[in-house]
Formats: sequence, C-alpha cells, structure tokens
Amino acid sequence: MTSMTSATSDSHDHHAAQQAADGPTDIGVERLSKVYAQAIIEAADRKQCRHEVIDELAGMVHDVLPKVPKAQLVFDSPKVTPEEKSAVINRICAGRVLPTTLHTLHVLARHGRLGILSHVVAAARRQADELEGRRQATFTTAQPLDSAEQSQIVASVEQAIGSSLSPTFIVNPELIGGLIVRIADTVYDHSVATSLVRLRARLKQRSIHEIQYGRDRLGTA
Amino acid sequence: MKFNTDEIASVLREEIDRFESGIDVREVGRVLEVGDGIARVWGLSGVMAGEMVEFPGGVTGLAFNLEENSVGVIILGDYLKVTEGDEVRSTGKLLSVPVGDAVIGRVLDPLGNPLDGKGPVVTEHRRPVETLAPGVADRQPVREPLQTGIKAIDAMTPIGRGQRELIIGDRKTGKTAIGIDAIINQKNSGVKCFYVAVGQKDSSVAVAIDILRKYGAMDYTTVIVSGASTAAPLQYIAPYSGTAMAEYFMYNGEHALIVYDDLSKQATAYRQLSLLMRRPPGREAYPGDVFYAHSRLLERSAKLSKEKGGGSLTSLPIIETLEGEVSAYIPTNVISITDGQIYLQPDLFFAGQRPAMNVGISVSRVGGAAQTKAMKKVAGGLRLDLASFRELEAFAQLGTDLDAATQSRLDRGYRMVELLKQGQYQPMDVVDQVLSIYAGTRGHLDAVKREEVAEWEKGFLLFVRDQTPDLRAKMEQTKELDAESERQLEAAIAEFKRQWAAKNGMGAGSTGGSRSLAGTAK
Repeated sequence: MTSMTSATSDSHDHHAAQQAADGPTDIGVERLSKVYAQAIIEAADRKQCRHEVIDELAGMVHDVLPKVPKAQLVFDSPKVTPEEKSAVINRICAGRVLPTTLHTLHVLARHGRLGILSHVVAAARRQADELEGRRQATFTTAQPLDSAEQSQIVASVEQAIGSSLSPTFIVNPELIGGLIVRIADTVYDHSVATSLVRLRARLKQRSIHEIQYGRDRLGTA
Repeated sequence: MKFNTDEIASVLREEIDRFESGIDVREVGRVLEVGDGIARVWGLSGVMAGEMVEFPGGVTGLAFNLEENSVGVIILGDYLKVTEGDEVRSTGKLLSVPVGDAVIGRVLDPLGNPLDGKGPVVTEHRRPVETLAPGVADRQPVREPLQTGIKAIDAMTPIGRGQRELIIGDRKTGKTAIGIDAIINQKNSGVKCFYVAVGQKDSSVAVAIDILRKYGAMDYTTVIVSGASTAAPLQYIAPYSGTAMAEYFMYNGEHALIVYDDLSKQATAYRQLSLLMRRPPGREAYPGDVFYAHSRLLERSAKLSKEKGGGSLTSLPIIETLEGEVSAYIPTNVISITDGQIYLQPDLFFAGQRPAMNVGISVSRVGGAAQTKAMKKVAGGLRLDLASFRELEAFAQLGTDLDAATQSRLDRGYRMVELLKQGQYQPMDVVDQVLSIYAGTRGHLDAVKREEVAEWEKGFLLFVRDQTPDLRAKMEQTKELDAESERQLEAAIAEFKRQWAAKNGMGAGSTGGSRSLAGTAK
C-alpha cells in the first residue's frame, strides 16, 4: 500500500514522504485520482465541508486501513462485488462520518476504485491546497528539526517565494548538512552533499582544463 | 613524471577556499519508465520542447514529447545507466556540439565526443544542434562549382556550392563511393568536409575513414559516426549535429561540404523513436513530421549572401532504395527537397559502368550555372546525347540493319560511355575532365577501340600535361576554352592521335568493335 503524506505531519517514515514528493508510479492512476478529487471537492464545497471531508477520508487512509490490512485487500480485490464493499463501508462508517464522505466511498466502491483511495485523497489535498493558494513543499534535512525550527524555516521560505506553504518534513542523513526545499518540480538545494558533488565536478573540470592547455603547474618533470 | 604533492594540495586548498556554495536551483522530475533509448518522466513541469535534460551519471536527454502528466525524453547516450526512479533535471539549455577548427580531422560521435582516441576536442565554440536555416534575404543563387572530380557528375549533373544533391540508389551501387570521392577531391580547395555516417556498419565506416586517411583527406574532414549499434536517438540527431559543425564554417565565410550517409537510416531511427513515444504512425509507419525532419535539415545547406560573408554549405544526402523503388515515401520526400539527384542503378553497375549513374533521370536543378565556362562548352549536349544513345542502343539490340549515321551515333555513344567510366578514389582535375570530354564529344575517339578508350585517355592527358603545358596552365587559370585554346587543343589531339597510331601499329580496326556487334546481332 502506498501511504500518502498528510500536511504538517513529520511522523511519516522517510520512504513514504519521499514517494509523495517524487510523484506517482502510475500516470493512469494519477489522472483518475485527479478527476475523483475534483468531484469530491466540488461536492464537499456545496455542503461547505471541504476540509472535514478530506480529513475524514485521510483518517480512513492513514488511521483505519493500516490497522486492518485485510480491509485494504478487500477494497483492492475485484472478486469482492461492489455491493459487498458498500455493505462493509456502511458497517464501518455509517453514522460516524459526514454524508458526503460516505457517498464518496460508495461511489468509489460502485466504480471499483476503492483501491486508489489513498491516491484520491492525496490528489484532493493537493487540489485543496492549490485552491487556497497554498503550495505543497517538502523540506529535507540531515537532522530532525524541532517545531520552532520548522516554523522558522517555513516562514522564511514563504517570505522568499511570496506564497503560503503546506510543508512536509523529511530527514535524510545522506545530506550531511544543509537543507533541500522542493516546491512542485523546483528544487532549491543548499545541502552539503550537493555542494561536495559540485566541488568535485569543478576540481575535475579544472584538472581537465589544465591538462588540455598543457599547463604543467601540477607536475614537475 | 613526478608529482609535487604539496603543490597539488595547495591548488586544491585554493580551489576549496574560492568555492562558493550557492543554492543549487533545479527543476526536477522522476523517471517512470525507461527503455529502448526513451524515458517517460513525471514532473519537469516547466521543461520546454527540445530542451536538454540531465540524468544522474551525466547522461543527457532531450525533451521530446510534452504530455499532460508526463514528459517523453529521448536519451542521448547509454540508456542502460538510467533506471526507474532516477531524478531528471532540466538544464534550460539546448543541445549543442563543439565546432570550429578543433573538430577538423577528428572522428566524433553526434554529441561531439571523440571516438578516435585523440583526446578531448578543445574549443570554446559551440553551436546548437538544431538551428533555423538562413532566410531568403541571407542567401544568393548557387553559382560557384563544387568539383566532385567525377567526370560524369561534373559534366552532366554539376553541383554548385550551397546545393543539395541527392545520391540515390539500391544497396551496393556505389553511393558512398561518390560521397567519399567528392571529399577526396576537395583537397587544396579550402572546402571543409563532413562525413556523417548514420546507421552504417562500423566496419564500413572504419574502411571509409581509412580511405580518407590514406588519400590525405582527413586533414580537412570530420567524421561523425553513429553506427548501427548506437541507440536510435543518437542516429536521429547525428545529421543535425554534423550540420551544426559544418555551418560554423559557412557562417564564417568559408565553404563546407557535408555527406549524409544515409538519411533513410536516420528516418528509420526517427520512426523507431516516434513509435516508442506513441506518436501516431503515418505512411509506412513513419511519423507525420518525417518530411519536416529532412526538410529542416537540408534547408540549412545554403549559399550565403555577400553581406553574410558569402560562405556556403553543400550537402550530398544519400538515400538507399529497395529494388529501385524511388516512389517509396522517404525517397520521394528527399527527392522533392533536394536540388537534383544522382540516380545509381545496379544493372549499370554490374555492366561495368562505374559510377553507375543513370544519365536519363539524374538531374541537377542548378545546372550549368555551377559549371566552369569550359566545362559548359564541352559538355553542353552530353546528357541528352547519352540519353538518346541509350534508346538507340536498345533499338540496335533488336538486330535491325542500321544506316551509317545511326551506326556512327552508336559508336560515339559507346565511346562516351567508356570515357565516363572512372575508377574509385581517382577524382580528376576539372581541366583534365574538360580535355577528355572535348576529345570524346568532338569525335576524336571514334577511331579508337572501345576497350582502348581508357588507355587513350590516360595517354592523352599525360601528353597534354607534358607537351603543351602552356595550354593547360591557361585553361586552369581562365577556366575557359576560347577559340585560340581550342585551336591549340585540336593540334595537340592531332599530334597525339598520330603518335597513338604509330605506337599501335596503325589505326587498327577503326570501328571494329561495333561492327562485330552488329554482325552477331544479325
């Protein structure tokens, strides 16, 4: 199962967050999810409960399903009929969630798309962020940051790019030091690892240059 | 060589001190799938069509297809090094290759990397691989001849500087040989030559390079190799990068010649790419823009106006046909783009006529404008005469009794055909060509046996060189054949014929060859 990130949470394991930052593995699923996400947001907006619906769906994906791995299998399986899936959904959710959330799950079940629920939720979150003028950003550091540091970094980046952010934090010790910020497809890389790679390339370039022009500063005959 | 480690350390320290670790801003994507020289990338939302992208490990690619959710990238280099999940970054640059004098004499791949083991190409000049062709105002008509050194071509389908002349024919009909001969003949003419081998067997390319080297042609030639074993993307861009290197000289007021060997293989590589990229297939499964792929390439060959320096780029694209089928898709396309074609036929090749050029359907749309005055004068009606000879010849084989006039036309034709035969890698000076063709068209060879024509020609050219150097020098200088020179030439021919007859005992069997042929036909 692909677990998708929820905003502002820094408790996700590194791989899941990395995957969210890098994008999907299947473009077809991505395209489908976008369509469902748009429909969910529009339906929720009519009832003025965009965030509630998304949060409930996210709760389903991140809190309920991981605890009952078999439920995910049931949702994924084409062998289970849509009616049976609907019945399961009714038993789990009826009365506990908003009607829009329940309907969303039923629609997904009827179309045999419950398996991509996590992608749909991630896409809905992205679209909601976009509509509200927030951009999703991933911050990668070598050391874990405390919440004061996190909000300080987010604030300064928000000021620099002039729009608000919906941040995700990742810890990757391979960076050695520094910070990498990724907003959409643009990466602002100020990590020690990248600097070292660039320094290496420059030293190499320089040596090639010297050899080419026959300057024998490095060697003594 | 002993290394001074202290000095190395100090250089490194200095370099590290000066290193400013600025923020590295890049636009990235991720490889979703990769295979057969292409990759599908998620992300790279700001990439532009044709922009160069970089894979980890320094492999470059070109953004080829921009789709709603992904970007199709063609990988220029070792696509086996690229794996799913790799980060791809855009560079904001177009693909470019090194150009200038540094590439001359080198064997390079389509990205300008050396393949000849002679070290990196050291130059500061680079040109984008894809550039716009010069516009109408920047051009002037093609007038100056580009001598190929091949009698049949220079006399009947002359090529001018800035022209595009297609060489078309089946496999093994001597297409490459014409290109190589044309390159060899550019020695001392100041024309820079480029030989682009696309989809060729590496063994044949090695032979071609060896020949160029042997005849001293590598001093002014660059070979761009993208062999049959290289990935389709490299084969696809090879002609464009070769042109970029050649254009540099054109825009600097010099002259360049480029041979594309061959464009049908490039079209096949492009078809492969397009199909892998899921672009819709058209006729013969080629993509819809395969015409544009060739037209934008060949339009870059031009003769620039005086204001632009007057440089030129002449191109000799080669197309391989299947069973002489010139009405296939790619051949018709390239025929319609170029300014003429040299059509090579297997039956002529096996009949011993080499170059195996079919005179009837080979044309040069620039024509006499690209010939020296002398050549124009002597070769004026040659093409039509030979074409009508071919018809007569077919008629004569029916075994009909021929009148004297027809017989003499046939005899003349047989001798002209003999005269136009020329060995490989033996390009001829234009003055020599004029002398030979003059002798042939004015009937001075009618009395020579067909099998002795080559020998006669050789002897005659040597005779002119040794006995009448003034005449030759004058022709070389003026490139004309005025009345006075013509009189001298006639005298020289008469004298040589006398010596020839004396040497060969007498004018033995004046029309013996053809008479016996007519006899057996009865």
